[in-house]
Amino acid sequence: MSKPEFIYVTYIETTPEKLWEALTSSEFSRKYWFGTELQSNWKIGSSFALVTNGVTSDVGEVLEFDRPRRLSYTFNHILRDDLRNAEPTKVVFTLEPHGHLVKLTLTHEGFAGADKLRNAISAGWPAILSSLKSLLETGNPLAIPRAALGKEVQSS
Amino acid sequence: MSKPEFIYVTYIETTPEKLWQALTDGDFTERYWFAHRAASDWNVGSNYHFTLDGEKRLEGKVLISDPPRKLAYSWNGCSEEVRRERTSRVTFDLEPRGTVVKLTMTHDDLDEAGVTFRGIAEGWPMVLASLKSFLENGQILDIPRPIAAKEAVSV
Repeated sequence: MSKPEFIYVTYIETTPEKLWEALTSSEFSRKYWFGTELQSNWKIGSSFALVTNGVTSDVGEVLEFDRPRRLSYTFNHILRDDLRNAEPTKVVFTLEPHGHLVKLTLTHEGFAGADKLRNAISAGWPAILSSLKSLLETGNPLAIPRAALGKEVQSS
Repeated sequence: MSKPEFIYVTYIETTPEKLWQALTDGDFTERYWFAHRAASDWNVGSNYHFTLDGEKRLEGKVLISDPPRKLAYSWNGCSEEVRRERTSRVTFDLEPRGTVVKLTMTHDDLDEAGVTFRGIAEGWPMVLASLKSFLENGQILDIPRPIAAKEAVSV
C-alpha cells in the first residue's frame, strides 16, 4: 500500500523570516527550485502557480498564510497526463525556531491512488529543500543537475 | 505486515570521498553527530561503535563497506531503554550528481512499536542536516544538545 503523505524535516541556520521569504518569493525560488518561480499574491484563497521558463507546471490555491510560521497551498500538476491527480494534493510548511536554527517541516499529502505523482514529488522535495538550505546557509544554491532527479520529475 | 523503514535523502556539495570520511571517521562524526564518536576499521564483519563522552551508545557490525559508494551496518542502541529491541540496519548510498553528492540513508528492520523507531525518525534529520552544514560551511549546526543528544542516536 502506498503511503498517503510525504514528510521531510530539515534544520536550517537562518531566521523564520528569511526562510519565509525564501518560501514565498519567486526571486528566491528561481535560485533553489530548479529555476521555478512561485507566483501568487499569497492572499488566502488566491491562486498559486509554479512557472518554469514561462511554462506553468502546477497550480493551486493558498490555504494558510501565517507569516512566519505556517504556509499551506493546494497543489495540482497540470503539465503531464501521467502525473495528473483527480484531487488536488496539499502542501504544508511549518517553521519552528529551534535554538539558533529553524526546523522546517514539509508535509505533502493527498496521494491516494496517485503513486506516480507521489514518487515524483518524493524525488523532487529533498533536492529542492537541500538546495534551499545551502542557499540560506552559504549564499549559494546547489548545482544539482535536473536530470539527476530521474525521469519522473523532468518535464516531458 | 512490512516492518517500518525510515528513508532520508539529502544533497551535499562535497565529494563522495569526503562524505565517506565524514560518515566513518570519529574525528569527523564527533563534530556534527552531537559529539558521538565512531570507531571501527570499517571492514565487512568488523564491529563498530559510537561513544558519547567515552560511553558506548550504539554498536553493531559492518555489513557492507564499499568506499565511497555504500556503507551498511547493523544498529543496536546501548541504553537500558532500547537494548532489548530488535537489531535494525542502516544503509548509506552515496551517488555523485554533478558537483553534488546525493546521500540516501535507509534505516530499516525497525520495530514498529519500539522507542528506536520514534527516536531515529526525529534524530536522522538533525544528524544529516548537521552533516550537510558541516561539509558545506565547515560549521556544525548549533542544535540544542539536550534535545539532539537524546533523540539523535542515543535512543
